[in-house]
Parts: sequence; structure tokens; C-alpha cells
Amino acid sequence: MGKKALWKISTAGLVLIPVAVGINYVGKTLASLLKLPLWLDSIGTVLGSMLAGPVIGAISGMINNIIYGFTLDPVSTVYFITSLAIGLVVGILSYRGWLKSFPRVLGLGLIVGVVSSIVSTPLNIIYWEGLTGNLWGDALFAYVIHLNAPLWLASFLDSIVVDVPDKLLTVLIGYFIYIGLPKNIKQLFADDEIEEL
Amino acid sequence: MNGMGLYEERNTWVHRSDPVTKLFYGITVSAIPYILPYMGVAAFFLCLNILLLVLAKVFRKILPILFLSFFLMLSIVIVHGIFHPDNRTPLFSAAGIHFYREGLSLAALLIIRLLNMICGFGVVILTTKPDLLVNGLVQTGLSPRIGYVIHSVFRIIPQMAATVNKIKDAQRARGVETEGNLLTRAKALFPLLVPVIMSSLIATKERTMALELRGFGSKGKRTFLKEYEEGRYSRQARWFFLLLLFGSAVWRVLA
Amino acid sequence: MKKIVVEGLKYRYPGAERLALDDVSFEVNAGELIGIIGKNGSGKSTLCYALTGLVPHFFRGAYGGRVLLDGLEVKTSTVAEISRKAGLVFDNPFTQISAAKETVFEEIAFGLENAGVPREEMAERIGWSMKLLGIERIREKNPFELSGGQMQRVAIAGMLVMKPDILILDEPTSQLDPQGTEEVFQVIRNLAKEGMTILVAEHKVEKLAEYADKLLLLHDGKCAAFDAPKRVFSMENAESYGVELPLAAQIAKELDLRDEAGLYPAAPDELLALLKGRLQGAAGTGERLTE
Repeated sequence: MGKKALWKISTAGLVLIPVAVGINYVGKTLASLLKLPLWLDSIGTVLGSMLAGPVIGAISGMINNIIYGFTLDPVSTVYFITSLAIGLVVGILSYRGWLKSFPRVLGLGLIVGVVSSIVSTPLNIIYWEGLTGNLWGDALFAYVIHLNAPLWLASFLDSIVVDVPDKLLTVLIGYFIYIGLPKNIKQLFADDEIEEL
Repeated sequence: MNGMGLYEERNTWVHRSDPVTKLFYGITVSAIPYILPYMGVAAFFLCLNILLLVLAKVFRKILPILFLSFFLMLSIVIVHGIFHPDNRTPLFSAAGIHFYREGLSLAALLIIRLLNMICGFGVVILTTKPDLLVNGLVQTGLSPRIGYVIHSVFRIIPQMAATVNKIKDAQRARGVETEGNLLTRAKALFPLLVPVIMSSLIATKERTMALELRGFGSKGKRTFLKEYEEGRYSRQARWFFLLLLFGSAVWRVLA
Repeated sequence: MKKIVVEGLKYRYPGAERLALDDVSFEVNAGELIGIIGKNGSGKSTLCYALTGLVPHFFRGAYGGRVLLDGLEVKTSTVAEISRKAGLVFDNPFTQISAAKETVFEEIAFGLENAGVPREEMAERIGWSMKLLGIERIREKNPFELSGGQMQRVAIAGMLVMKPDILILDEPTSQLDPQGTEEVFQVIRNLAKEGMTILVAEHKVEKLAEYADKLLLLHDGKCAAFDAPKRVFSMENAESYGVELPLAAQIAKELDLRDEAGLYPAAPDELLALLKGRLQGAAGTGERLTE
């Protein structure tokens, strides 16, 4: 794949976006159905980025939050930047070969978790003075603030505590599904030259 | 299109207003209290939004949405009320824990702003048919291909939800356990997730081909079957909101 | 000018080892109805894709030879341009619905919007194609709430509204029930009568045998035969190509019943005529018909 291919938007990528949003929704529903202690609401964004690159991944993330904001909970719209960042990071690092070995995939999961927190922290600070609405995260926040730590640190830790495990698992799940996909689906998003016969 | 969305069919002037203008409104009134962080500003807009919701006869529908953020609001009150670094003046005590004025007044501002944002968006969401909004955006300049993407999200999600249910029943019949301890439940994730994803991705390939064959990839100018009529004062209204937004930003910088 | 010219077409999917299409050449005249037959994997779908530009533009891979539609070369045109000459309908009606429109009427308009057709023209074109497909009554229905046969007809209408004069159908009835199948074949018959050039890839040989002007038999990506149905069925090794002969031809083959040209009948009425002839002949000469 050439440099150009990294940033392309093809019809296949656009058709993938609603599916990615749908998979996010399915992941979230199953997590809640199976009462798993995770959100798992980004599997689609991650898988979409692995398949179709950072631009499609980023758009999927953004549209995901905007649509949720419109149909379920307006607060989701605030975090569209976070979803966008997740799509970009997974797309760019997948392109750079981070899916080639399992330790790297773990690394990718951790990076996504950390990036997700880094991007969410300013949002959380602006909107709710650092909180996230998550029980364990906010409890940690209270404790850290009590120790006189700076606001950004308390807020960052509040996010990390939930984001890293959730995103790590999300990336792993996305990865295992990705490697199991048939070649003709991955081909859909490749942009090879047409060979002469 | 009943699968998704909170849109309620009613016949009020709010419902009939231009969707894109409403969107401008929603974004403006939600954003200004964050640009000008004064209780008065937030309270004013909150009241305005509540008024509009009542006039649009959808006030009751906003309550469940507000409720979704209940825990966040509770957390804001408790954590900031007790632990905020600026806390100096105790206001009251409960079970030996002090709640301070500084933290609580900050919490009040945060909560009013949050309520305002939800209600502001609520005015848009509860009175606007998503399809019309997207059509409006496309004819105002949004890329038609992105417009297609958003339209299809609204249709594909209910389908995938239905597929999940079918797969769930099928897998349960095959012995996949969805209840029990954490490990058992976790093991059910893949057998439920993978078939849904696979069938959606295969459909993606076929749908992409069909779209290409209908000229979706064409770079030329597009036309529209349905006429999108802008409201009479839409232009002015939208400029007004933009100016308001810009004005607040300027005020913030200067003050 | 020939409507469709295929010269030495070769194609290999990306990452594949063998050619999916191997030096295929044939020509189609305007108004002909061609059946594309062959067992699974013989290249029928690939040929359909090649006639509409999906091969090579969508699938990429390795491509050789030429495909010309009314003089327009597929290799050097975009799929959007080609779609105005030739429409393609697949087997799955569900995935051909754009999923962006609420009613059948709007759904059919989708291609027109993409092509920038002026709004004033749209209603007339959509009305015309709905009439042709017999779907006026369902114009306000949600495309996803239709039966398979109806959905498939909407898909065909969505293609026809672009006014191609070639229509290609790749196993259009494989996912339909008998009623849906009948609806679609009825449409194909009507379109053929209107003078449209049609190519249908199918397993349901019985139907093709009745209506097709010629059959194109593919085997391993190569063109094994391109001839009138009767001739194809009468080939010595027809069955070795994985073709299931229509019932009439099978019976005739068992009874070694051929017409004056030495061919097996393709349709029941021809078989009947031949049988009557043989029976009357036998009655006259006292010949025994079977051992």
C-alpha cells in the first residue's frame, strides 16, 4: 500500500462505516447482555480502522458518537473527538505493521487506552471539572484530589483506570476477529494496481 | 423508521421549523454556557430550552434522557462538594462529612450546564426527523456520500440488532451459555459477536458493488429527488446564532 | 456495430493462482438474450463483473484482453460511466438496496441522483421503470419490507432507470422462492420483448432453454461453447461440463430422439412433436420403440 492509500476514502470504506457503528452498538449490547464489566463500545471503530485505514476509522468513530448523541444520549457527542482519535491511532499503527506480532498488538491496545484518556481528559475537565461519571474512576479522582495532586493528573487517572482495560480488550477482540477474516474481505479495502495480462 | 431515534411526531411550530436551523440553535445554546461560564447564562438558556420543550409538547420525553446522566450528576455533587481544592466554607454536613459552598456552587454550575446541553440538544432531537436533517445538511453543503453514510446508519443498526437476537437464539440452541459466572459469560462473547460481524462484512462487499454500479463513486455533480425547502428566515436565524456564538467568544476573551 | 464484443478476455483475482477467465471471446448482437451457464467456479460471475467494469476496477487483480460495450471500452472507463451502458443485478436482493431511502420510489431514484439527472426528468424515468417491472403498487413501501421477488424487481428497476440498453443478471433467482423466480423471469421476458440486450447467468437451465437465443458455456474460465441452446445440449460431452440438461433434452437423449438437424429438443413442446412423430412412424411400420 502506498502513502496515498493510507488516507484514501473509497466506496467500500464508506459502506463500512455504518457497519462499524453497528458493530460498536452490538459490542455494547452484548457487554450489557452478558453483564461484562466493560463498555466494549469501540470494537467496530477498531476493526474498521484495521480494515480500511485511519480516515475511515476516524469518521466511523465520529459518526458513532454523533449518532448516539442524537438517538440515545446527547452527552456522547462530547466524546466524538476521543472516538476519532482511536480510529486514527489504530489505523495509522495498523498500517505501520503493529498487527504483525502479538506483543505489538498488546502494545497497540495499551497505546489506544492511553491516547483515549489523554484526549478525554481535557474534555472531562472542561465539562465536569475532571470527573467521568464512572464509579471507580471518580472514586480514584476523589482520593487523588484529596492528596492535593493537580487536577489534570486526577482526571487522567480517573480515565485511565477504565479506558486502558476496556480499550486493551477491545483491540484484542478486534485483532482476533481481523485475523480470522477471509482474504476477499480484506481485499475490498486494498488499492492495488491492476496488472496487465 | 421506528428503529432508531427519539423523534416524536407532533405538529408544533418547533417541529415544523427548519431542521438545520434548529441544529445551529442547539449547538449555539449548548456551547455558550461553556464559553461564558456564569450561572446566570446557563440558567437563562436552560429555562429557554425547557420553555421550547414544553411548547413542542415533548417535555416529558426529555426526562428519561436526563436520567441517563444521573450518576454523573451525583458524582459531580459528591466529589466536588466534598473534595474540591477550593473548598473552604462548609455549608452542611451529612454523616460527619462536610460539603462546602465553593464545591457545591461549582457543582451547581456544572449540573445546570449539563442539563442545559441535554435540553438544548433535546429540542433538536425530539422535534426533528433525522432523515430530514441529513437531507438538509447535504443540500446545505455536506458531502452527499457522507449523507448516504448517515442515512444508512439509521437503517443498518436496527437490522444488526435484529441479527444479534437471531444469532443469540441460534447459539443458545446450540448450547452457548449466556448466564453463569464471569468466565462462562465471557466465553459467549465470540460465538455471538463473530457471526454478526461476518454476515455484516459480507453484506458490505456486495452492497459496495451495488452502489458502485449505481454511480455512487462518481465525482460529478449530484441532484436530489426531494426538494429541501429552507425555512423563511433560516438564513437570518443561522447567521444570528453564529454571531451569538462568535460574540460570546469575543466577550470571553475581552473580559 | 455489435452490442458487446469480448476479445481474449483474461482475468485473475488478486492473490489467486489460476485465471478466473482464460481467453474468452464472443460477440453479442443487440436485442439478444444470452444465457451464461457452467458449473460453480467456472467463471460466470466473474464474466458478469467483467462486462460491467467491476472487473477490473473494483476487484483489481490481473487483466488482459478487451471488453467493448457499444464501442465503449471497459478497461478505460469508470464503473459509473459503464453503468449507463450496462446494468448488473446480483443474486442477493437485500444487499442491492441502498439502505439510504425510505420508499421504493426514492430507492429507484438513487442512481439518478448520483448521475446528476435533472429533477424534472426523474419522476418520469422512475415511473417508466416501475411500470416495466410491475411495481407501481409498492412505490411507497419501505424497500426492506418487501418479499424477495419484489426486492429483486426493485433492484432491477434501480438499474434500468439509468437507461442502459444492456442488462446483466447474475443468478438473479437463486435466493428467491418459486413465485419470486417466476416474477423475475417474467420481467426478463418482457425486457427481451422490448428489445433489451440481456445476459443471464443461471443454473435454472430449463427457463433459459426456452427463451435464450444463445447459450455461453463456461468451463474453468474458458468458453466451451457459444451457440443456440439446442446445439449446446446436443454436444457429445455436454454433461462433462457440469451442465444439467433440461428435462426435454435428457429424455430425448435417453431415447436417442433427434430432429432433422441431428439435435436434441430443448423445450417440452419440441420433444412432444418429436415423440408424436416417432410414435406415428412406429405405428405405421410396426417398429418396436424400445427393447
